[in-house]
Amino acid sequence: ALVSCHRHYRSRPTHGIGRYKYLLPKEAPKKKRDRVQMKEIDVGTEHEYGDINIQMTSYDMCLVEHFAQYVHRLCNRLAVRVKESYAMPTKTNEVLFLEERGSKMQLDAVLTTHQRVVQISGLSSTFAPILLEAIQSNQPEGVHLLVKEHTEADFKSRLKSRPELEELLAQMS
Amino acid sequence: TAAATRPWRLFGAMCLLRLPRITQPLQKEEEEMAALMEQIELEKSHYSDHEIRKLQEEEQLRRRKESAYDDEDEAPGKMVIMAQDLEEKWEQKLLSFKAAPRITDADKNNNRTSLNRKLDSNLMLLVKQKIGNQELWLLPQVEWQPGETLRGTAERAMSTFLGDHIQAKVLGNAPYGIYKYKFPRAIRTEDNVGAKVFFFKAFLQSSDLSQAELKEDYLWVTKDELGDYLKSEYLKKVNRFLLD
Repeated sequence: ALVSCHRHYRSRPTHGIGRYKYLLPKEAPKKKRDRVQMKEIDVGTEHEYGDINIQMTSYDMCLVEHFAQYVHRLCNRLAVRVKESYAMPTKTNEVLFLEERGSKMQLDAVLTTHQRVVQISGLSSTFAPILLEAIQSNQPEGVHLLVKEHTEADFKSRLKSRPELEELLAQMS
Repeated sequence: TAAATRPWRLFGAMCLLRLPRITQPLQKEEEEMAALMEQIELEKSHYSDHEIRKLQEEEQLRRRKESAYDDEDEAPGKMVIMAQDLEEKWEQKLLSFKAAPRITDADKNNNRTSLNRKLDSNLMLLVKQKIGNQELWLLPQVEWQPGETLRGTAERAMSTFLGDHIQAKVLGNAPYGIYKYKFPRAIRTEDNVGAKVFFFKAFLQSSDLSQAELKEDYLWVTKDELGDYLKSEYLKKVNRFLLD
């Protein structure tokens, strides 16, 4: 018999032989509300930047996504810690032409703006210019690049606004 | 005293880069790959809204012709603009659009002092400076003065050659490279063995230099053309920190 059929039954001494979960440390139960903020280290005399957001915007979604992927992989290869890599909601703009010859005609064009953000932490100040130069020189056409420090406002912009809550707060105060 | 025991003179030099404006042309393999990927994606893709609308309208036209004008009452009310008309309008607009020329330096006959040169590669500023008895082509450099940071020296070098209001961005405080040389034996003294030049990098933000340049001997040069102007040792050290 190639396969042994000795099940580790409850009466056998080998019952529960593969258990390991009881050895791991206890995880805190996950709440619905997300942790608000990580701690932010800033330069000062420390030669290290805190959380930095690299924001890439463009009309062309494929370009932006591929560029974001490239930046993420570059940071992985250069041992720069990437904290988060997320996308902001797309904004749709309608372009209307008002031709003033004769009747006012309106031709429509619909433009969608896509934005991807790669969040980095622990960038040393001696290495930062090299990384920035590498990203800048490999920027594709039509992609805007913005590198800035992460602030609470940036974090809040990702969350949806709750009009009822705001109304109640306004009524209370 | 600390100042007297240092026999090296310090210089700060600024390498001013103009970033490329256009992407470089694709190589042959890249072009073939791009064409192949495009074909694959086209065959795999679904119809877009515009294409669906066009197909539906063609169907309706055909049906109307075959069924001998049965729904003529419907026709004048709807169908003000057909998808085919829109496409023709867009094509006409595209034909009337003219892109800017990619090769401007070819027109200017290899004029190396203009900034509109190679739009697809980095351009660096080279200046002719007098050092000792010789006039050499160098990156703009100025001697360091005590009490100043080296980055400040480099920025001062930039402003002496290009005027004050240059929109150039220096990314960090650390130098990118160093070139060390000893003076020829005739000039060498105990205090003055040689000089060390620290290189910094800055990126030009705006491309118009309306301020007058102080010295007339300046050049905007790509990395390959550096070899024509710089000395070999100097060139080796400079090439170490240039990307592309």
